[in-house]
Amino acid sequence: MVKVVVIGGGWAGCAAALTAKKAGAEVVLLEKTDMLLGCGLVGGIMRNNGRFTAAEELKYLGGHELIEITDMCARHRNIEFPGHKHANLYDITKVEPEIRKMLLNKGIKIKFISRAADVVMENKTKIKGIVLDDESVEYGDVFIETTGSTGPMGNCLRYGNGCSMCILRCPSFGPRISISYRAGVEDILGMRSDEVYGAFSGSCKLNKDSLSDEIREKLDKEGVVVLPVPEEDVNMDKLNIKVCQQYALPEYAKNVILLDTGHAKLMTPFYPLEKLRKIPGLERARFEDPYSGGKANSIRYLSIAPRNNGMKVKGLDNLLCAGEKSGLFTGHTEAMTTGCLAGHNSVRLSLGMPLLELPRNLASGDLIAYENECIETKEGLKNRYTFAGGIYFERMKSLGLYTTNTDVIREKVERDNLIGIYDEKLV
Amino acid sequence: MNHRLECIDIGSDYCPCYLAELNECIVCSQLQGKEFCDCNWNGVCVYQDFIWSKRKAKAKRETIVADIIDKQNINKNLIILTLSVPNKMARDLNEPGSYVFLRNESTPSFFDAPMSVMYADEINGIIKIAVQINGPKTNVINSCGKRVFLRGPYWNGLFGHKYIKGTRNSKCLVILRGIAQAPGAIIINKLYNNNNEITVIIDKGKVEEFFIWQYINNFNLKIITTDLLSNDGQDILKKAIADNDIKLIYSGGSDEQHLNILNYLDLLDSKAYFAVSNNNTICCGEGICGSCEVQIDGQKIRSCKVQLDVRKAIERRVLHG
Repeated sequence: MVKVVVIGGGWAGCAAALTAKKAGAEVVLLEKTDMLLGCGLVGGIMRNNGRFTAAEELKYLGGHELIEITDMCARHRNIEFPGHKHANLYDITKVEPEIRKMLLNKGIKIKFISRAADVVMENKTKIKGIVLDDESVEYGDVFIETTGSTGPMGNCLRYGNGCSMCILRCPSFGPRISISYRAGVEDILGMRSDEVYGAFSGSCKLNKDSLSDEIREKLDKEGVVVLPVPEEDVNMDKLNIKVCQQYALPEYAKNVILLDTGHAKLMTPFYPLEKLRKIPGLERARFEDPYSGGKANSIRYLSIAPRNNGMKVKGLDNLLCAGEKSGLFTGHTEAMTTGCLAGHNSVRLSLGMPLLELPRNLASGDLIAYENECIETKEGLKNRYTFAGGIYFERMKSLGLYTTNTDVIREKVERDNLIGIYDEKLV
Repeated sequence: MNHRLECIDIGSDYCPCYLAELNECIVCSQLQGKEFCDCNWNGVCVYQDFIWSKRKAKAKRETIVADIIDKQNINKNLIILTLSVPNKMARDLNEPGSYVFLRNESTPSFFDAPMSVMYADEINGIIKIAVQINGPKTNVINSCGKRVFLRGPYWNGLFGHKYIKGTRNSKCLVILRGIAQAPGAIIINKLYNNNNEITVIIDKGKVEEFFIWQYINNFNLKIITTDLLSNDGQDILKKAIADNDIKLIYSGGSDEQHLNILNYLDLLDSKAYFAVSNNNTICCGEGICGSCEVQIDGQKIRSCKVQLDVRKAIERRVLHG
C-alpha cells in the first residue's frame, strides 16, 4: 500500500487527496485549522469565463466529485457580472461540510488542527516524514504540498498592510510553513507590477445583514449588485496590487461590485470602511472576511515551489505540489485542476510509472505548462494565470481552448484517451 | 537548515526584546535579517508586535528594590530569603523554571546572581529564594540588610517546560539534590495542581538539609530521602525509574546527575518525558552576553532563553563541557 500525505486542506489539497485515494493510495490529509477549503471558505466563484471549460475538462478527467458538489451548492447559476460570463456562485456555508463528508466517505484520513512544522529527510532529496507542531511525525511514501502561498502574519505585514484576520487564522492555528523550503528547495516569488513581492487577495466579504434591504434582496435574487463609487474615491492604482487580475478591470475601480456567495463578496482587496459607508445602501456595512477588510487583506504568492508539468517539485524525489504552491494560479478551479493531477501522479511516482502530463489541447494542460514557461522571466512573475481572465483567458480564446460546448470538451478528452483517468485505480 | 529554536519569552510582556532590535531574534526569521517568514510560533506574530512597538523592544526588565521580610539561616551555607515584590512579579514567578537576579544594593551590576524561585505567593506579593553561600556574589547577598536589588522575571531555569506543564493525571518522578530542591518546590506544586501522582527523591547534597519539606508536605507525595551517590541511592533511583507507568521525570541537580538518570532511562528503555534543571552559566538572562551559550549540532544557542533538547544538552555538556 502506498501512503500519500497531503499537506494543506484547501481546494488543491482536497482534490489531491481525492485522486490519490482513487488511484489506490492510503491518504492522510493534514490541515492546520479546523475546516477544509482554506481560502475556498470565503471564495465561491466557479465556471466564470474559461473556468467553465476547465470545470468540464476536470469532470471528464475524473475529478467530477468536486465539480458536482460546487454545482450542487450553487446559490446562483449562470450569472453575469462585469467582465465575466456564465458564472456560478457557490454557497460558502454549504460546500465545506459536503466536501468533508465526501472525502471521509472515500476513506481519506483527515487530521485537523495538525500543522506541518518541518520535514524529516531520508537523504538530501527524499522526504521521510512531516513533523507536526506537537512534534509527532507523519511518515509517508509520497508527499503533496498544497500549503498555498499566503501568510503567515510577518509576510502579510512586510509585504502588505499587516494581518487582516483572514480565514487562515494564523494567530489561532499557527504559521504556514513552506515544506519545500524546509526540504531544501528555494521558493519562487510572485511580484506586483511595482516589483514588490506578493499580492493582495482580490476580494473581501461584507456581512449581508449589514447592507440595506434593497441591496440584500437584489443580491439574493440576482447574485450581483453594482454600485458606483463616489468620483473622489475612485482609485485606479488599487488594481495593481490584486492577485486576481481577472478582476483588475476599470469597472472594478469605478464601482463596488458585490456578489452573493452567502456573504456579500466585495470585489476589491480591502476598502476603508469610512469610504465604503458613503455609498448609498452601505451605511451600516461591516466586514465579515477578512475581519479587518477595511485596512488590509492577506498577501499571497510568497512561496511557490519549482515544479515540472507532472506537478513534481524539482530537486526532490517524492514531493509534488498543487494549487497556489505550484504556481501563480488564482482560483478554486485552478487549485482543483492542479490538485487532481498531483494526487493522481503521487501514486504513479511511488510506482515508478511516468507521470501524467495533461496535453496542451486541453485548457488545463496548457495552463500548467504555460505558467511554467512564463515564470522564467520577471515579467511572467508579475502576471497571474487563471482560466477566468487576464492574459491567460485571452490566450485560451486565441488558441481555441475556450468553449462552453460540453460535447466538444468531452470529445477532446476522449481523443486524448483520458476519460476517467483519475478514476483509474493504479495499485 | 538550522533547527528552529523556541524562546521562553515569546508572546510574553518581554517580547520582542533587545535581540529583535539587533536582528538576532531567536524565533522570527524576519527579525534575523531574512526577508520571509519561516517561524514555528503558534501565536501573535513577533514581527508584527515589533512593528507595533515602533521597532523597539517592548518592555524591559528593570532592576527593582525588594524588601527583605525575613531571612532564615538554615545553616552556615544556606539562607532562605523572603522578599516583598509587586503582585505581578510574584504571579509571573509562580512558574516552573522561574528565576531572578539578586544583588546587594552596594554592589555594581556585575554582582547580579541568578537565583531560582522556590515559592511565590501572588496574593500577598511574596517570593522565597534559597541561597547557597559559595562565592563572592552569594556572600554579599548574605550580607544584605533590609533590601536587595532584584531583576526579573526570568523563566528558563529548566529544560522541558512543555512536559512539566503538559503532564496531567499521570505518575511523575521528581529527583532533587542539594540547592536544586528550591526550584523543585514550584515544579512539584505545578505537577500536583495538574492532578499527577508524584514520587519525590530527595538528596540533601552539599546544603545538608531537606529544606523544602514545609513547602511540599501538603501534597500527598511519596517522599524518599537518600544519598544518590551511594549504592543504596542508585538502587532506589533505578527502581523508581523502572516503573513503566511513569510519564515524566524531572531531575534537579548537576549535569552528572542528569546523565546518570538519562543512562537509566536508556538502560530500562523508559518512554518517560525527561525535564532537567538548566545548569549553564547564566549571567545576563537576556541572550546578550553569551556566557550561557552552548553549541548543539553546530548551532550556537543561548540557553538562558532557549528550551534545549534535553538529551543533546546533557550529553554535550558532560562530554565536552
